Amino acid sequence: MIQASLLNKSFRIHKKQPGFIGALGNFFNREYHSKPAVVDFEVTVRPGEVIGLLGPNGAGKTTLMKMFTGIIVPSAGELKVLGQTPHLRSREFRKQIALVMGQKSQLWWDLPALDSFLLLQKYYEIPKADFKRRLDELSTLLGVIDLLEVHVRKLSLGERMKLELMSCLLHEPKILFLDEPTIGLDLVAQRNIRAFLARYQKEKGTTLILTSHYMADVEALCQRLVLILGGKKRFDGKIEDFEQILGNNKIVAYDFDRPLSTEDPVLAPFAPVWNEDRTRVELTIPALQLRELSQKILKDYPVVDFHTEKLPIERVMTQLMDRPELL
Amino acid sequence: MNPKALWSLYLPKWGATMQVAWSNLLVYRLNFLLSAIAPLVVFLVVKLSLWYRVYEGAPSALVGGFTFSQMATYHLWVFLTSLLVFNGNATKISEDIRMGKITSYLIYPFSLWEFHGATFLARTLVQLGIAATTLTGVWAFLSGQVHFPEPHTLALGLLLTLMAAGFWFWANYLVGLIGFWMEETWTLMVMLQILAYFLSGSLIPLSFYPPWLQGLLNYTPFPAIAYLPARVLMGESAGVIQALWVLGFWNLGAALLAQLVWKKGLRLYTAAGM
Repeated sequence: MIQASLLNKSFRIHKKQPGFIGALGNFFNREYHSKPAVVDFEVTVRPGEVIGLLGPNGAGKTTLMKMFTGIIVPSAGELKVLGQTPHLRSREFRKQIALVMGQKSQLWWDLPALDSFLLLQKYYEIPKADFKRRLDELSTLLGVIDLLEVHVRKLSLGERMKLELMSCLLHEPKILFLDEPTIGLDLVAQRNIRAFLARYQKEKGTTLILTSHYMADVEALCQRLVLILGGKKRFDGKIEDFEQILGNNKIVAYDFDRPLSTEDPVLAPFAPVWNEDRTRVELTIPALQLRELSQKILKDYPVVDFHTEKLPIERVMTQLMDRPELL
Repeated sequence: MNPKALWSLYLPKWGATMQVAWSNLLVYRLNFLLSAIAPLVVFLVVKLSLWYRVYEGAPSALVGGFTFSQMATYHLWVFLTSLLVFNGNATKISEDIRMGKITSYLIYPFSLWEFHGATFLARTLVQLGIAATTLTGVWAFLSGQVHFPEPHTLALGLLLTLMAAGFWFWANYLVGLIGFWMEETWTLMVMLQILAYFLSGSLIPLSFYPPWLQGLLNYTPFPAIAYLPARVLMGESAGVIQALWVLGFWNLGAALLAQLVWKKGLRLYTAAGM
């Protein structure tokens, strides 16, 4: 589906000193330099895979997406998507992909979404019967039947995102690129979009490439993660392996009904992190000791509640973003 | 691919894009009405009253070989042809490039030039309706003072104007594409617009200009924007065949250049804001 080898992309940028003097100086003397955004990137994506591209802001995720979709031209390296060179942008290639941009609308702002869909039907040459069937199917699944004839500018962000998704799926693309599809959405809207994408992918077997800063998106959808730091690939593997990248430890938090001593000798070996009033502790416990230690704490301590961390990949991500040398 | 297959492949796409352009035009009703009426108001208030002052109440005097009635008729035709030609949107194209808004048209299997071409055509057709309505109104109001051209003369004038509109589209599109290199292109567009006003005969008939300049302009597409169609519609068709060839050449040249500039410019596109 996607084959990238030694892929590189650099941008030419210039700096400007602040203020009018800076602007004047910049007008007469502009120094350009090259900023690498993606460096020697290699990846192979198989049909039907769901891959999360992770990394901090400016890591190169979106630049990769832009190269995969043919929007920008790589500076060097080999890239084939669906057997084609993306930046040559053949019509055949473009008919097989779609890109959802969380921060940019592709629908006509002043018109109802249905007008945009009818336009896309012609652009993608979708037969009328297929178009009607997909329109019914997708609008029912996403619960947007009543919104199709409402002007896009009148919709909430969550409603608009559902319709953006629809617009990208009407031609049943083989690869769907999702660039932060849940950005800015409330929790319910995020959950709905995730649930829809998971169901759609399962039914159609579409290859999904996702970037998101919400680890819940990644955990709910992706089987494989690719971590990019400073334009370079630093991890490529299963989500379970990513969770254990910094060791096979579990983070468990215990709530107590009264303050305890922070010097407790039983808890001390497990890097305890206490809250302000010493009624809650978070322990990092090796997987092999989890059962035994938990039993002991539940039995001997005034525990009122306990839970394991919900998104281990979020912790791993945070640590790696702070200290990339850990990899 | 044979022409019939090409036609059936592209016609629905262009048609649907034109429908969206029309729908967008009609969203803001007052805006649409003002844009339809404003050029006529400018024509009546500015141009006609200005030329009336030039003739200083002696309508049968000759200025540059034109009586006031001929000058008014000339400017009526120039007004109508300019409605059909000046429909470009270069500043929007360059702004879209700068803000990364052309991304969708790099993903859709429909090119950016086709999108802008269909939109331009849609606007030109709307303007054709406005021009026809204006012409009917003026003709009825002046009841015979304006000589209405023969159908074949009207067709020839329209052909010239539409070919000039084609050139203006490519010129606009090219200036818009400069947005790949320059952050602002509106100054270029204003310069092109002023140049076109002066060299097309929109402000004063080209017969006012020195002969050497008139001769030179015959090899440019500018006279076909206003002067030539106006003269044709007033019954003078000298030089039309050459003008059609010249326009064909400039249209083809500008279209090819636009494709080249697009290919070069796209390598610089960063899809900002995504």
